[in-house]
Amino acid sequence: MLSFIIVVPLLAALTVLCLPGNFRFLIRAVALGATALCALAAVRLFFGFDAAGAGAGGFKYVQRVPWVEALGISYYVGVDGLNVGLMLMGALVAFAAACVSWEIKTSEKLYYVLLLVMTSGVLGAFASLDLFFFYFFHELALVPTFIMIGVWGHGANRNYATFNITLYLSAGALLALFGLVALYLQMPADARTFDLVAMTEHFRSNPVPAAAQQFIFPLLLFGFGILVSLWPFHTWAPLGYGAAPTATAMLHAGVLKKFGLYGLMRVALPLLPAGARDWMPVVAALCLGNILYCGWVAMRQRDLNQLIGNSSVAHMGFIFLGLASLSLVGLTGAVMVMIAHGLLAALSFGLSGYLRAHARTLNMDELGGLLRQVPFIGAALVMAALAGCGLPGFANFAGEITVLFGAWKVLPWYVVVAAWGALVVGAVYMLRAVRSILHGPLAEKWAGMPDANPWRRVPFVLLLAALIGFGFFPSALANKIKASAESIVAMVGAGQRPAAAGPVAQVR
Amino acid sequence: MPDSFQPEDLAWIILLLPLLAAAVIGLGTRRDARLSARLSITAVVLSFLGSLGLFLLMREPLALAPKVETSALEWLSVGALKVDLALRLDPLSLLMLLVVTGVGGAIHIYSWGYMHGDRCVGRFFGCLSLFMFSMLGIVLANNFLMMFIFWELVGVSSYLLIGFWYERPAAADACKKAFITNRLGDFGFLLGILIIWAACDGLNFDAVQARLAKSPETLGALASLAGFLIFMGAMGKSAQFPLHVWLPDAMEGPTPVSALIHAATMVAAGVYMLCRVFFLFTIPQAWPELLAFLDGWTALGLIAWLGGLTALLAALMAVQQDDIKRILAYSTLSQLGYMVMAVGLGGPTPAMYHLTTHAFFKALLFLGAGSVIHAMHHEQDIWRMGGLREKLPVTWRTFLLGTLALCGVPPLSGFYSKDGVLAQAYHQHVILFILAVFVAMLTAFYMSRLVVVAFLGSHRSEQAGHAHESPGVMTWPLVVLAVPTVLAGLWGLDAFLERQFNPAAAPHAESWVGALFAPFGHAPAAALLGLAATVFGFSFAWALYRGAVRDPLPDKLGALARAMAGRFYFDELYRALIALTHEALARLAAWCDQWIVAGLAVRGVHGSVELLGRALRLVQTGNLQTYAFLFVAGVVVVLFFALR
Repeated sequence: MLSFIIVVPLLAALTVLCLPGNFRFLIRAVALGATALCALAAVRLFFGFDAAGAGAGGFKYVQRVPWVEALGISYYVGVDGLNVGLMLMGALVAFAAACVSWEIKTSEKLYYVLLLVMTSGVLGAFASLDLFFFYFFHELALVPTFIMIGVWGHGANRNYATFNITLYLSAGALLALFGLVALYLQMPADARTFDLVAMTEHFRSNPVPAAAQQFIFPLLLFGFGILVSLWPFHTWAPLGYGAAPTATAMLHAGVLKKFGLYGLMRVALPLLPAGARDWMPVVAALCLGNILYCGWVAMRQRDLNQLIGNSSVAHMGFIFLGLASLSLVGLTGAVMVMIAHGLLAALSFGLSGYLRAHARTLNMDELGGLLRQVPFIGAALVMAALAGCGLPGFANFAGEITVLFGAWKVLPWYVVVAAWGALVVGAVYMLRAVRSILHGPLAEKWAGMPDANPWRRVPFVLLLAALIGFGFFPSALANKIKASAESIVAMVGAGQRPAAAGPVAQVR
Repeated sequence: MPDSFQPEDLAWIILLLPLLAAAVIGLGTRRDARLSARLSITAVVLSFLGSLGLFLLMREPLALAPKVETSALEWLSVGALKVDLALRLDPLSLLMLLVVTGVGGAIHIYSWGYMHGDRCVGRFFGCLSLFMFSMLGIVLANNFLMMFIFWELVGVSSYLLIGFWYERPAAADACKKAFITNRLGDFGFLLGILIIWAACDGLNFDAVQARLAKSPETLGALASLAGFLIFMGAMGKSAQFPLHVWLPDAMEGPTPVSALIHAATMVAAGVYMLCRVFFLFTIPQAWPELLAFLDGWTALGLIAWLGGLTALLAALMAVQQDDIKRILAYSTLSQLGYMVMAVGLGGPTPAMYHLTTHAFFKALLFLGAGSVIHAMHHEQDIWRMGGLREKLPVTWRTFLLGTLALCGVPPLSGFYSKDGVLAQAYHQHVILFILAVFVAMLTAFYMSRLVVVAFLGSHRSEQAGHAHESPGVMTWPLVVLAVPTVLAGLWGLDAFLERQFNPAAAPHAESWVGALFAPFGHAPAAALLGLAATVFGFSFAWALYRGAVRDPLPDKLGALARAMAGRFYFDELYRALIALTHEALARLAAWCDQWIVAGLAVRGVHGSVELLGRALRLVQTGNLQTYAFLFVAGVVVVLFFALR
């Protein structure tokens, strides 16, 4: 099942490659069909996953094919509570991204090949339990991102944006690679393997020496952190997303960006617990940079894509806060926010892409009064804005509130600031956007803008339905996540010094 | 879900019916105005009937136990964070349930007449149903987080309804302002919830109450702070000073919305919530070190003073407003101040009592104002009305009843509930009592001004001359609401509520004759002073405004009148404050992002690499002589070091 999800887009990419470039309809149909198939399979995977009956290491749907046995590399996939939701989210977003790609009118063949490769890469990265493939799949998804922004991007400074995002993300990936290699070398020479489950088992009984942890953890933290736009390494994100084609922004902001966070949770926290404990205060401080500083930056934006980009960076702060709490509740909440934000980011960028395709601008001072003209797109954008400022009923609220609860006992002051960012700053910039774009009198020049037809509505309805579904029933996510989160928390907590009086006591 | 259907599970149906209506309207029937309205009205009427049934069914069980809870649904359960959704039924929630669905039902029906012909009637009714669902959720919530969830949902439905005519810039700005101001309050509310959760290991009202009853020191030094933070939620929703600025602007919404949300129900949610968590305020009070300067204050003391201050300020502002809806809005603020003050003075019973009667007569007044506005073709300035008494007979009579009830004239309901508040103040705090009596006088003054100017005398504009009474679908709800406006004082509501807050000393309900004269029995001074203040207010207004064509007060009061009309310049003050703080920080962050993080760091790295590249390119001239020279020079240098 898992391999099916990973391989189908790759096969589809090959098929598209074999088709003549002017068979536009067929190319699009193959891409849509493949991603839809993926999404369906992921839905089945998600609802078929039962945290209770999992096998070794808590993984299910495990598949393993040895590849380079000398180095201990094998194709090894499986899901547990941590990534099953991410797989679902990734597959849904990939389908939505294929749906909104109607805006691409040049070299479609190459475009869809890249999109499908990116889909396969990102889903493969989340499913991999082998460090080599984990990294390989991520690169497989990352490289098409750069090409797509460079070739099909928008705006005057798309070259600068491409350059910027390539530089940043390659640097981040490189740092993370150093960290992963260093970690690999910590295994005894005869037992070296890329098998993540085996590595976890090994380091559980033979922890990495504290000095090495101190050295490796920051490599992973900042390497993965750059990939997630951890403050102050975030400026590539709004810039890159502003220039990217809609589908690329959706896939990258929604799904691929979560790879860094997933890496931190899957590799850095359980394998380097001492390093994690020592570095988490730094993460806690930096995440406020994301939440508050980037929220303020978002308040000043006049371009919708820049605003969504900055707000997406701000939302990453909640995930980092959940990580920094190193608590069961916080970590579970962090994964919930990852999934919710993936859906939301895809929805927001998809909608802004629709507006850009028809209005040719996203400058909020020029737009206005569009709710009457495009009621469906307008209503969906209002819902996206409300979800973005953490309204109950959307999955984002459930995740963020869980993070705030989880972090409260450990980091109360940080939670105060984060709550301010979530409830007040978020509401200010989201509602300002609604006010400028949708409310107010309709300008003459937009009177001809068409609303989305039923086909164009499909991706938005799908993403909204998922957001609302998980918003009403967050336990559908939380119950799957918590068992896996618990084992991570247990590993991080193992060998810890007896806890001093908690910070809550200090506040008193 | 249990095997058999328990009577209390009826509450789930009451709660979910409006949601169902909202969902169906939103997904399908939005374009069909008539069908949407029918769905929405049917849902709320069924909810009301269900509430009535529940009220009757629950009498027996509630006589045995203080409360009944429905079976619970697990919403989220991770580690120490357990949120189960269950509905809590006790006298407090049952009474509120009846008020919300009853007043809500009347207003839903009225809306069908008022909104007739609007382009988006379907959307309007969808939003109304969403609001009903959220409000019923607050009423029935059994834990803090569930209340917070519905709290936010009420906020958003209010946002959608204030901004219903979003093409008008004023409405679009007002809905944004309302939501963000509410969010400021919710920020405190959430922190309060977090403190309580961490200290008491639970979110259920019952569990927390039991925990605090067993060991009142559980919250330690955070006790007062937690109480005050929770109150911040009420400060936002009930528009208490200093977060009161959004409510007058919210009048940009359609008038039925003002009646339902910004007079009768949503703004009362803050008071309801304070009564619901009243047990938080009775534990030993203490402030953390950081806030040591507040020592000597209790959370309740702060609440009482903020409520009193709101009542006074809003009443003063109401005196100089000319827009009929704004006068009513400030009056709502002022009455909410009364309720909050009553809670702060340790009297949840009079607060809830006043909330209930206020919901009836203020909804009546707003709907009456809506009928006037409808007849005047959307003219809202009272100085362009006049003489409406003959033109709109039903509206006039019901509006007069509402006014008299609001001013506290016996034997109308407002007299009894306001007397409860005054008596509470009289027993607890003499300064606040004087303030409350003064506010009662102001209330009588500005309401008589409104009635005298708008309804009496002769017409001052074309529209007023041609005004016609509204259709039956609008006047019948007025008549229906007039019934409780007149009679609710005699129903023994206070005795019913006392069972909730003070079960040991609950008085038996008196006969209606006894109830008629009760206020003069237990606190005659408060009742008489309140009455005297009302009479004073009436006579002043009568003397000033009888036959007036323009307001004589600005000449008499000068700067004070201008300040009252300008709402004491709070909006300007806040705008300046926000510009100086939050906006300035945002500007600074955006500047740093553009010039320092992206500029210096990224472009700096970019630039220095590029500079290095250019410098190295200078070396690669392609000129053979240069290369030969550099080669020889290198050899010389190497030789020099090697042979030295």
